[in-house]
Amino acid sequence: MEILNQFGVKPILLLAQIVNFIILLLVLKKFLYKPILRILEERKEKIAESLKNSEEIEKKLAQILESRDKKLEEAAKESKKIIDEAVVSANQIIAESHEKALEQTQKMIAKSEEQMALERDKLHQEIRSELADMVALGLEKTAGKVLTTKDKEELAKSALKDFKS
Amino acid sequence: MEASLIAENIAHIGSFPITNSILVTWLITLILSISAFFATRKMQAVPTGLQNFYEMIIETAYGVVEDLAHTRAKVFFPYLMTFFLFIITANWLGLLPGFGTIGLNEIEDGKEVFIPLFRSVNSDLNTTLSLALISLVLTHYYSVRYLGIWGYIKHWFSLNPVILFVGLLEIVSEFTKLVSLSLRLFGNIFAGEVVLSTISSMFAFIVPLPFYFLEIIVGFVQAAVFMMLTLVFMVLLSEKHVEEH
Repeated sequence: MEILNQFGVKPILLLAQIVNFIILLLVLKKFLYKPILRILEERKEKIAESLKNSEEIEKKLAQILESRDKKLEEAAKESKKIIDEAVVSANQIIAESHEKALEQTQKMIAKSEEQMALERDKLHQEIRSELADMVALGLEKTAGKVLTTKDKEELAKSALKDFKS
Repeated sequence: MEASLIAENIAHIGSFPITNSILVTWLITLILSISAFFATRKMQAVPTGLQNFYEMIIETAYGVVEDLAHTRAKVFFPYLMTFFLFIITANWLGLLPGFGTIGLNEIEDGKEVFIPLFRSVNSDLNTTLSLALISLVLTHYYSVRYLGIWGYIKHWFSLNPVILFVGLLEIVSEFTKLVSLSLRLFGNIFAGEVVLSTISSMFAFIVPLPFYFLEIIVGFVQAAVFMMLTLVFMVLLSEKHVEEH
């Protein structure tokens, strides 16, 4: 223990240093290590969390992009299909209406022909009766006698026979 | 100026002698406490200034401790960090220009003797010995806590004569730890003080500069060594032995 004396070691000084160290330890623990370790931990967690978040966001973005591309493709396909269908149906409609129109005009032509024939017949009849009257009148004048109705008819009939043949 | 082996008394409170190294110890405690207080007074998510500075130190040191102590890092860290901060502050404070030159001339034994007011605390064996004592006590305390009292005793004693002998050697080595820890720190810093004062008294300009740089490095290395050794001792003694015979 002589050597300790030579170095000036005294129990009271040792004790003072130890007490001082404990005080320093407690102060630093409370004011330095705890808050700083806590904030370091928090920061670590935050960074990990935000990294995770960004990864998730990236994943989601990729998903969204993919689904968007898919949807766009689908939409393009669908629109093409719709256009094709429309073209087909339009062609059909045009063809149909063409046919209808043709039919209609033919019908109309037939109808008007029929009507014309009817008209002509009517005209013929009128002309005939007129002619008969005129013939009767002429006969009356030349024959000088009044024809009876029976005669008239007979005459008309014979005239008509002639006319017809 | 001459470096003396023993810290000088500068005052008394009752029977308690205040040496200059005790005074500087209080000064270091004050500096560290105040800077710690200001560093964490307004904690910010984006650190600046003092907070940033301490964060850098603590993050690095915690990484080192965690690498070795794993789950025990949280328990061991405050002691180790305090060892480091205290020792490095003490060492670098002692290097401040004019640090050891402020003092009083007192009459002692009829002669006028220069009594410096400040002294690099680690050039006083009282300081380093008390640090080593704390380190050793902590090591054994945590050994008992983590291994249990039975595991702790088994570490030293065994019925197997060979292992018993090894255990006895290890007990001796525990005391060696105390001596080596305290004397290494004391020797390095005291030698540094002596070298600096010798060189300065030979030639005061420029020539001492390389030695100052050297002492700055030594100051850091000794703080780191003390911390690392304590860490390793704590980890080794509190680890469960895998190979049970």
